[in-house]
Amino acid sequence: MPSSDRAPAQAQVDQAIEWLVKLRFDTPSPATEQQFQQWLARHPLNAQAWQRVSNLSDELAGLPTELSRRTLNGTQRQRINRRDHLKLLAVLAVGGGLGWAMREPLGLPALMADSSTGTGERRRLQGSDGSQIQLNTATAIDLRFSAEQRELILLRGEVSLASNPGDNRPFRITTGVGALGTHDAQLLLRENDQGLLLAVRSGEATLFPSSASPRLVHAGETLQVSPSGQYQPATLHGDPWGWTDGVLSVQQMPLAEFCTELARYRPGLLRCAPEVAELKVSGTYQLGDTEQILRLLARSLPVRIDYRTRYWVSIGAA
Amino acid sequence: MQINDTLKPAEVALLYQSHNAWLRGWLRSRVGCQEHAADLAQDTFVRLLRARQVSPLREPRAYLSSIARGLMIDQFRRHALERAYQESLAHLPEGEVPSEEHRLVILDSLERLDRALHQLKPRARQAFLLAQLDGLSIPQIALRLEVSRATVERDLAKALGVCYRLRYAEL
Repeated sequence: MPSSDRAPAQAQVDQAIEWLVKLRFDTPSPATEQQFQQWLARHPLNAQAWQRVSNLSDELAGLPTELSRRTLNGTQRQRINRRDHLKLLAVLAVGGGLGWAMREPLGLPALMADSSTGTGERRRLQGSDGSQIQLNTATAIDLRFSAEQRELILLRGEVSLASNPGDNRPFRITTGVGALGTHDAQLLLRENDQGLLLAVRSGEATLFPSSASPRLVHAGETLQVSPSGQYQPATLHGDPWGWTDGVLSVQQMPLAEFCTELARYRPGLLRCAPEVAELKVSGTYQLGDTEQILRLLARSLPVRIDYRTRYWVSIGAA
Repeated sequence: MQINDTLKPAEVALLYQSHNAWLRGWLRSRVGCQEHAADLAQDTFVRLLRARQVSPLREPRAYLSSIARGLMIDQFRRHALERAYQESLAHLPEGEVPSEEHRLVILDSLERLDRALHQLKPRARQAFLLAQLDGLSIPQIALRLEVSRATVERDLAKALGVCYRLRYAEL
């Protein structure tokens, strides 16, 4: 844009847009056209606003219809909005031409996020508002603090938040499944196969499911929230908060489920044979050493650990 | 008016001296490629020159990284669009495939349109496409979407407002 041309004011742009809608997309009466001509002549910047707005519309009207529709639908399928753009990026990473994006095992979400952890990593951080945040393995979050609100966006993985109640701004948490609002809660959020696991340890939070009415969640409650917005008390075979102390703490957890849990903290494959899948595991295990956990399993259960390679481990009957 | 609310070149130069190395490092840790990071850092400062930002910057690094992040996302969007365009070409009769020169013009327009559409609610998006691409009139669109004419008018005005901002008012 040449620096010499003065920009029309917002009000003039708005008027130009109103005229354009009337004149181009409707059948204007002679009176309307006359009023438009008068408006146009009233101020040079009116004319300039009109020029710009009608150029915009001309440019779009000149697009080939069929091709444009298909192209736009193609990108809409991988729709970018503030919450979803990272998913789109993950899709793109598969498409080639963006090879550099693929070197990171977590894909683009982690690359683009404000804060992230790799597999097996955990991280503790403090928000500028004094809130305490912990990231579990393979997690990515964005933090946005403005004058009006504090916001944490869970892009993937699992996070715990102890909102600093000394800060007056509401704390909003955005996830792919639904949003939450709180002021004083200590809570935990985990993306899982069924949607989102939400546990509130102290304080309270309001859950805004994608398609149901808001629900106040009290201290001590643990809910499983589905992507369609349904929620119900979660049944767990362990302490969801364990990892914040560096442990995996389980009670009567089926071995198959235990393997899935453990696999989150280990790169590579961890397989559990069907014949031992129903064995029950109880105990508190140090997440810092997953090899040690596997050794302990072999000692306490009738199972054998097979290392096909370092990153391909199978648990079968002993 | 535009002169007063952008950073002065001297200020940008100073920012460049103090933060370029940091920004390149920040970008490199994200894109994993030194050259690509250097390009993006360069683009970030070019944007900064055009950005309407009251000086002085209170948190220059936060500001720079937010511009850089926007640039990265723009690049991905553009890649997405070009891919979708290529895929769409396959469905066209040969005679309707635009020339290479025309292709770039179309892609630039579609890129802006795509960004605008993403800021609109589904109904407004539909109305806008019916009007602009298919050339339907307001009464036709109202009938098709089963809403009032006034609603269609509002939707179209909203969509044009977004397009205008993207074209003339943003960074």
